[in-house]
Amino acid sequence: MSSNYVLECENLGIVFGGLAAVDQFNIQVAPKEVAGLIGPNGAGKTTVFNLLTKVYEPTSGTIKLNGKDTKGETTVSLSKAGIARTFQNIRLFGNLSVADNVIAAMNQSMKYSLFESTFRLPRFWKEEKAAREKALELLSIFDMQDMADVKSSSLPYGAQRRLEITRALATNPSLLLLDEPAAGMNPAETAELMENIGKIRDTFGIAILLIEHDMSLVMGVCDQITVLNFGQVIAHGTPAEIQSNPVVIEAYLGKKKEE
Amino acid sequence: MKKLKNLVKSKNNAWLTYAVVVIAYVIMASLRASGNLSSKMSGMLVPICAYVAMALALNLTVGIIGELSLGHAGFMSIGAFAGTSLIVIMQYNGVASPTVRLVVGMIFAAVVTAVCGFLIGIPVLRLRGDYLAIVTLAFAEIIKSLFANMYLGIDETGLHFSIVEKKFELTETGRIIIEGAMGIRSITKISTFLAGFILVMICLIVIFNLMQSRTGRAIMAIRDNRIAAESIGIPVFKYKITAFTISAAMAGAAGCLFGNNYSSLVASKFNIDTSILILVFVVLGGQGNMLGSIIAATALTVLPEALRSFADYRMLVYAIVLIVVMLTTNNPQLKALVSNFKEKFSKKKEGESAGGLANE
Repeated sequence: MSSNYVLECENLGIVFGGLAAVDQFNIQVAPKEVAGLIGPNGAGKTTVFNLLTKVYEPTSGTIKLNGKDTKGETTVSLSKAGIARTFQNIRLFGNLSVADNVIAAMNQSMKYSLFESTFRLPRFWKEEKAAREKALELLSIFDMQDMADVKSSSLPYGAQRRLEITRALATNPSLLLLDEPAAGMNPAETAELMENIGKIRDTFGIAILLIEHDMSLVMGVCDQITVLNFGQVIAHGTPAEIQSNPVVIEAYLGKKKEE
Repeated sequence: MKKLKNLVKSKNNAWLTYAVVVIAYVIMASLRASGNLSSKMSGMLVPICAYVAMALALNLTVGIIGELSLGHAGFMSIGAFAGTSLIVIMQYNGVASPTVRLVVGMIFAAVVTAVCGFLIGIPVLRLRGDYLAIVTLAFAEIIKSLFANMYLGIDETGLHFSIVEKKFELTETGRIIIEGAMGIRSITKISTFLAGFILVMICLIVIFNLMQSRTGRAIMAIRDNRIAAESIGIPVFKYKITAFTISAAMAGAAGCLFGNNYSSLVASKFNIDTSILILVFVVLGGQGNMLGSIIAATALTVLPEALRSFADYRMLVYAIVLIVVMLTTNNPQLKALVSNFKEKFSKKKEGESAGGLANE
């Protein structure tokens, strides 16, 4: 049975020492779709990302990527299979240059061997040149091509977030997971990021799943939204539906005092 | 011109480092040829090369993989004993040319040590940080006592080997190679300064070409952030063990060079002190900074000899010098002063070249 979804989760769950951090989580993301995952702090959003990328092994449920069960896959093999992610607390390769951060992510698609690089054989030069060109092209999405040779840890905060997204794209993913991409950005930067998320979806034709607290971004860019609270899905629907859902409002703002 | 400046600026400049090593070699070799080098100094040339290669090998582990190894003297020891044993066997079998013996011995040492490094790396590299340091330290101690209790001899009937006790008798024409705690004796000193120079150059080329390749990028990515490296599909263990094996092979070749520079070789030479000494070279020279390692290894090998006039207080002075150097090179005010000076200097240069352009 072939699937039309990039990502399908069914009854996904993980238990940490008796505590169900995520329970009965279901989601379906189609190609070129942007899905949002929201919820109060500690709801288990990042845990879902860690389950999808096999940082944690789920205790129950299935994850299908492009119709294929990911059971037995590892973080590394899932990258090859098409999942790329960014992190809530930025994780760049601080001592490498901006371009090298991106080229490092192309490692899977580069073929030359250690022997070829030690003796600097033609295939080394050819692939390195192609990789550098592709890296500059990817960096140009966020207008960062001029910073290619800057050490990545010396970039300003917003640029580091953008570089993380660029690096994730360099793995040629079919599903991009963004963990709070707008965290720490000012409204102007957030608006620009929104525009770029749309651009990425259109040019690369990939599915995007994002965790975000900035509601203007979530409501503006997402096609569907899933709301988590205490590890459970409490609502699912279009941005308009979510905005007016009383359960969601309660989870965020608390219950009205009974009179 | 700008390209040239960028080249000089970058911390790990391959060409600058090659140039420094080649120039240093040419100067020392011509000084020796013209008889202007004291016998003491000329006797230190090979150990310096061996220690420089060791420092480079360890810097690959500490600076590039980002793991602290306290066991590199163990790899040096494996290389020294394996290489020297083969050289003695070749000599016994009538291989006359010392060059052939040395080259084959060093390659053999590198291969044997690489295999050992790979096998040891399998369990060790699953550990991180302090645990890895402790396990490598223990490994070096195991290697040391292994060689101190090993007996190896050769005669017409072939090789004889035993451990703990000498359980074989050699015929009259036989030659004992490794004799327990006494190690290998009456070695023909065949290590040359040229061989040391070539070894250092090979180590440098391998390291620099590794760093500027997808393998090196992956290794440094793992060092900087393991979780992110996995998320972009870099198999952590595979790359770590590749670099660790290369590092071990270099240490092995250096050990063989070192071993054949003296008439006797004992296992106790490669103890924890040696491991720490090499680590000091790396730390002093800067982690990941190859030229720094070379300079530190050279300076700290020469220093104890230069301090001989202090007699009993030699190691005390050595320690003080070490502390002073570490303090001053890490002093923020001093660093600011140096960078200030550099800036002024480069500005002046830029002004000059701009003026030059205007004149044209």
